[in-house]
Amino acid sequence: MTARTTSATTATVNSPRGASLEARDAVLRYGDTCILSGTTVRVQPRVVTGIVGPNGSGKSTLLRALAGLASLDAGSVSLDGVPIGQITPKIRARRIAYMPQASSDHAFTALELVLMGRYPHMGMFQMESRSDIQIAEDAMQQTGTSDFASRRMHELSGGERQRVSLARVLAQQADVLLLDEPTASLDLQHQLLTMMMARQQADTGVAVAVVLHDLSLAARHCDVIYLLDKGRVVAEGAPWDVVTQPNLRSAFSVDAAIEPDALTGRPSVSLLGIGSTDETTSDRLPKRVHIIGGAGSGRDLMHRLQLAGHTVTSCVLGEGDADHETATRLGIQHVASAPFSVITLEQDAAHRKLVREADVVIVCEMAVGPGNLRNIEAAVEAKRLVLIERQSGAEWDYTGGSAETVYSGLSSAGETVRRDAVVDTVNTLY
Amino acid sequence: MLRITVRKQNGIFAVSPIIRRTVIGALVIGILLFIVGLIALSTGPVSMSFTGTLSVLLAHLGIGEPSATATQQAVIDNIRIPRLLLALGAGAGLGVAGATMQGLFRNPLADPGIIGVSAGGALGAVIAIATGLAAISTLYLPLFAFTGAAGAMVLVFVVAMAGRGRMSMASLLLTGVAVSSLLGAITSAIIILTSQLEAQRQMVFWLAGGLEAARWDTVRIVLPIVAAGFIVILAFGRDLNLLLVGDDEAKSLGVRTGLVRSALITAAALLTGTAVAFSGTIAFVGLVVPHSIRMIAGPDHRALLPLSALGGGLFLLIADTLARNIAHPVEIRVGIITALFGAPFFLFLLIKNRSRVDAL
Repeated sequence: MTARTTSATTATVNSPRGASLEARDAVLRYGDTCILSGTTVRVQPRVVTGIVGPNGSGKSTLLRALAGLASLDAGSVSLDGVPIGQITPKIRARRIAYMPQASSDHAFTALELVLMGRYPHMGMFQMESRSDIQIAEDAMQQTGTSDFASRRMHELSGGERQRVSLARVLAQQADVLLLDEPTASLDLQHQLLTMMMARQQADTGVAVAVVLHDLSLAARHCDVIYLLDKGRVVAEGAPWDVVTQPNLRSAFSVDAAIEPDALTGRPSVSLLGIGSTDETTSDRLPKRVHIIGGAGSGRDLMHRLQLAGHTVTSCVLGEGDADHETATRLGIQHVASAPFSVITLEQDAAHRKLVREADVVIVCEMAVGPGNLRNIEAAVEAKRLVLIERQSGAEWDYTGGSAETVYSGLSSAGETVRRDAVVDTVNTLY
Repeated sequence: MLRITVRKQNGIFAVSPIIRRTVIGALVIGILLFIVGLIALSTGPVSMSFTGTLSVLLAHLGIGEPSATATQQAVIDNIRIPRLLLALGAGAGLGVAGATMQGLFRNPLADPGIIGVSAGGALGAVIAIATGLAAISTLYLPLFAFTGAAGAMVLVFVVAMAGRGRMSMASLLLTGVAVSSLLGAITSAIIILTSQLEAQRQMVFWLAGGLEAARWDTVRIVLPIVAAGFIVILAFGRDLNLLLVGDDEAKSLGVRTGLVRSALITAAALLTGTAVAFSGTIAFVGLVVPHSIRMIAGPDHRALLPLSALGGGLFLLIADTLARNIAHPVEIRVGIITALFGAPFFLFLLIKNRSRVDAL
């Protein structure tokens, strides 16, 4: 009793032994379905390991296997080299803490639940000691749940419960922390707090593994990421090696733009659309759409038309121009030019080629000056032409009349629609 | 009420809130038990004063002289004390078994007989009466009832685990309900097909539950079994808490869930089977008592189990005292009283604590 109290008191400072947990070639089947098919992951001390993947890829099962809760059909899970089955459940509970995704309704108070994290440290008929209560209260403070310590769990919101559960695994003071979607029902502030908590734990020497469905969150906060697909690790390593366009396309069937987060430099994911393997766009004919714009007049259409499944190209765009940036990011073919320069003959030729290849050319309502006059002149070569209605009275021609002339020629050759009708018009063209 | 928040406290109150809650609850129920016990021992066909009863009890402890007639002393010693002890034992067993089953099945409707134990006990008893064995020795009836209860439990286990190799609580629950119905139908058929009116009456009597079988030799069987079952279950009190929170939580916090569940179900069935064997099927104790305690002392099984034992004993003792005296000289069956008074009392608690009954 005395020995335990002492160890618990020193444990408030928390000096985990730094255990590493490893699943090697893990195979797990439910009937004919293979949930894990030869999965190998390693959770190491001082490292926040992220596990990501689409729904049903086996993330949660993998975490349960690491926690020693799922029995494998083949392969092994070992803690510091010792097979997890050889560790008695109680000792295992002192070393590995696991937080499941959701828990059932019950009437324990939040504090009572957090105190359950101390059970593995208590003898058979032993009650919670003062230091146990102290540890639980500290854990609640860390997760910002002290205010509802005496509220019953079934009266709390989903996010509040999740934070209490987090306090429970912290109170367990284990060497390995396994968290299954700990941020799933949290607001932004508490998502951040939870991930900061994971980081703090890792900094004290704990091995942390987190299943996350938010890739940007995973990329920002994890040191190592495992990408799972159909029970297999399809990519592993540092965030920049795992969160890549090809990986996301193959695992999630989505097209995404990945660029450095402004603050952390970690990869940040912006979703562009469903991958071309998907059938959502098959009911209408995808077309090649060319957008003549500039100065931000075309960027929104680029995105929306790409989402609608069309192949989008664009005109000559100066570097630094808003449309140029968007086109680059979305991987839209266009002709790049020096900022604010006049379009050269070579650029014009390349542009006219794109115009000719397009099924439909859209002319946006940007201002036209000597620099980009050739962009709208090229539009005469279009197979079909859609012009976006300009606001009457707005000044846009800075060429001394040449642009007006070209434009009126285009108006008679194509149809003029309002901006908000462009995507529909393109979709319904035969 | 008894909900005490954990704060730094000094002196004798610096103990676990669970212990504090249990001790306070036990003191309250203990005082009530003393009062009801005194009434129970003093009332009946041979009535006597409370002081007279007290003097008899104290004399047994070697304090003072009994101020009662020899008849009164004999009635207390040989009839009323065993009956009081049987009420406490059976009530405690049913209360603890009910609390355990509700926690294990995470189901507020779970009662001690949920896995077919009560129905099995009833069938065993009816068979003992129908074959005339019950008339030969008074021990045949409890023996048959207990065998029936144990047999029903084994049957439910075997069927629920058939072809699966592991125990699912849902299939156990459903199998229990189905087996109870089946055994209940057989019991009814035997009662109806019994031609002797007296045997038939005896069966219906037994089914309504009663404590008249109480003698010292029955008490000597019941109390040790109830005590043993209670201690086993109490040892798993923390594990029961975790099982109520969730399977994965329990496992990850070191509970061998399969083993603990089997041990708890077996112990709870043993308690129920013993209570049924010696007192018939007594409705409602296992349901009303744990729920009432939970509303006051919270869901922690380390407080809930001992208080349910005491509360079950108190509840059954009150019911039996009422049953013996309410329509004197006719004795109403105790099972009728528990349902007749327990149900409205339970409804009252439900309405009063509406917010607390959303979850176990």
